[in-house]
Amino acid sequence: MIRTLDHTADVGFEIGAPTLEALFDEARRALLVTMFERPPGKGEKEHQVRLRAPDLEILLVRWINELVFLIQSAGFVPVSSHLQLREISEEGFSFEARLGGAPLDLEGYGWQGEIKSATFHGLDVTHGSEGWRAQVILDV
Amino acid sequence: MNIERLSEFKYRIPKEGKMLVDAAFYASENILEDLRAENYASLQQIRNVATLPGVVEPAVTMPDIHWGYGFPIGGVAAFDPEEGGVISPGGVGFDINCGVRLLVSGLSRAELGPNMDALADALYESVPSGVGKGRKDIRFGREALQEILREGAASLVKRGYGEPEDLRSIESGGRLSGADPGTVSDRAYGRGVSQLGTLGSGNHFLEVQYIDEIYHEEAARVFSLEVGQVTVLIHSGSRGLGHQVCQDHVELCMEAAKRYGIELVDRQLAAAPIKSPEGDSYLKAMSAAANFAFANRQLISHFTRQAFASAGLDSKGRRLKVLYDLAHNNAKFEEHNGRKVLVHREGATRAFGPGNSELSEKYRSVGQPVLVPGDMGRYSFVLAGTKGAMSETFGSCAHGAGRKMGRRQAKRTAKGRNLKRELKDKGILIRAASRATIDEEIPEAYKDAAEVVETTHGAGIGRKVARLRPLIVVKG
Repeated sequence: MIRTLDHTADVGFEIGAPTLEALFDEARRALLVTMFERPPGKGEKEHQVRLRAPDLEILLVRWINELVFLIQSAGFVPVSSHLQLREISEEGFSFEARLGGAPLDLEGYGWQGEIKSATFHGLDVTHGSEGWRAQVILDV
Repeated sequence: MNIERLSEFKYRIPKEGKMLVDAAFYASENILEDLRAENYASLQQIRNVATLPGVVEPAVTMPDIHWGYGFPIGGVAAFDPEEGGVISPGGVGFDINCGVRLLVSGLSRAELGPNMDALADALYESVPSGVGKGRKDIRFGREALQEILREGAASLVKRGYGEPEDLRSIESGGRLSGADPGTVSDRAYGRGVSQLGTLGSGNHFLEVQYIDEIYHEEAARVFSLEVGQVTVLIHSGSRGLGHQVCQDHVELCMEAAKRYGIELVDRQLAAAPIKSPEGDSYLKAMSAAANFAFANRQLISHFTRQAFASAGLDSKGRRLKVLYDLAHNNAKFEEHNGRKVLVHREGATRAFGPGNSELSEKYRSVGQPVLVPGDMGRYSFVLAGTKGAMSETFGSCAHGAGRKMGRRQAKRTAKGRNLKRELKDKGILIRAASRATIDEEIPEAYKDAAEVVETTHGAGIGRKVARLRPLIVVKG
């Protein structure tokens, strides 16, 4: 589930999914929908991301910021992902993503504007009867 | 929320709950109505700021207040290092030292007329804008970049990009001392290396304008401003380098907050004591990113001058001079009411008043120039700092008009319209990297800058000097 938020100064999204991995993949898809009018559906490039974080909120912010970096600085648009997320006792979480991607095409994908960063404002990753959900505000 | 009206434009939010000091804000009736309509969400954010250790009364917001993440945009808060005061990367924001610079020319609007198209093309060509756009003509190696992070705009002037005189018209001389390039991560260097001399995207812009009204003759004389004169306003910041420095240090300060027992009502307010290794490290990295931003606006000015020359508009006596360059997002040590404090400004302008010894001599009699950009269809303003700002707002005032529409709403409003044509009909040429940027920056997406300026002037925290009308707009 992706619901985009449109605030006066910033943009963001609310996401929901049955598992944590699916939630993180929804974050990737939500980011693409925020950044592009017509995000690409497939791509031939590959990239691997490994992250660690003491809690799920920090992990989610690092994941989104990594994707923003890949898109805006490396020109790699992540169109698909295989994610593995593990809880490591005491140390928090470890995360591995194999990404499929397409080269950045601003006009072709309907570029919607630069994103500076994901923020921690109002961010929480929660688990309830309907699965996992999170809300993320982006600084644009 | 408990709000007390103190005067026509000034309000107090008394300390309650976890707040350590009172908060204050400046608003007209219309601005107050906007705050009510959002259920005081932005004012709640300044209340949150008032809970941080070592905060000095009052935590205050400017008339262009709007909802941010952590600090409200338009938020100003000072912290006393001797009282356990903190520094907050989220309180400075991602675009460290984002700011504006006004160049004034010896040209009149009439002289510019026939060259408008050529100048618009030359500016768009000379100053890269938009995402991922770096400069291909200039590349600074790691060593040069380190020097730029230490020395700011002066390092560019030394390399021939500008004149020594430029430095006298920049806040803090275009350099924050204490910058340590060693505290800036490799990724931040990687993101910054090709972006020096580029505008970026979003609300950043370069605008050629003319002065259509003078409100204060004496200040206008001191600033050398006259009706009909052509000016150039540049709005940009520290680009990817600054964004990365903030990202890196928000997380470090979040950890530090836990260690030092700082309770965070919002994690984006992550903070560390000024007198702690984590606080010190951020201060050094933030100063380095601030110097990158000063250097960025210096390089953009150099290429603006080149563009004027290539359009046949540069000759002796008409050369673009820097009126002032000031920052919207940073944290700086300043002396206020006899105390040395670290003033955070997040979407607010330093506005030092007459007599302040930090100002260059030429502006000391009337106060520093303050630049308040509006939207691309209406006007921007030049103000002067006041004694009122020194005594009430830690020498700060408003930094812009403030958005009233979200980006999507703005795009919906722009749908089906030809904004380029609409602006051209008003005598404004626009060059932009993408249609999306023009749409999300439509004039209606912003509040009327005049409302903010009248409130600032009425409250005595800034004094109206001149109004500027857009002629050419370059956007990312």
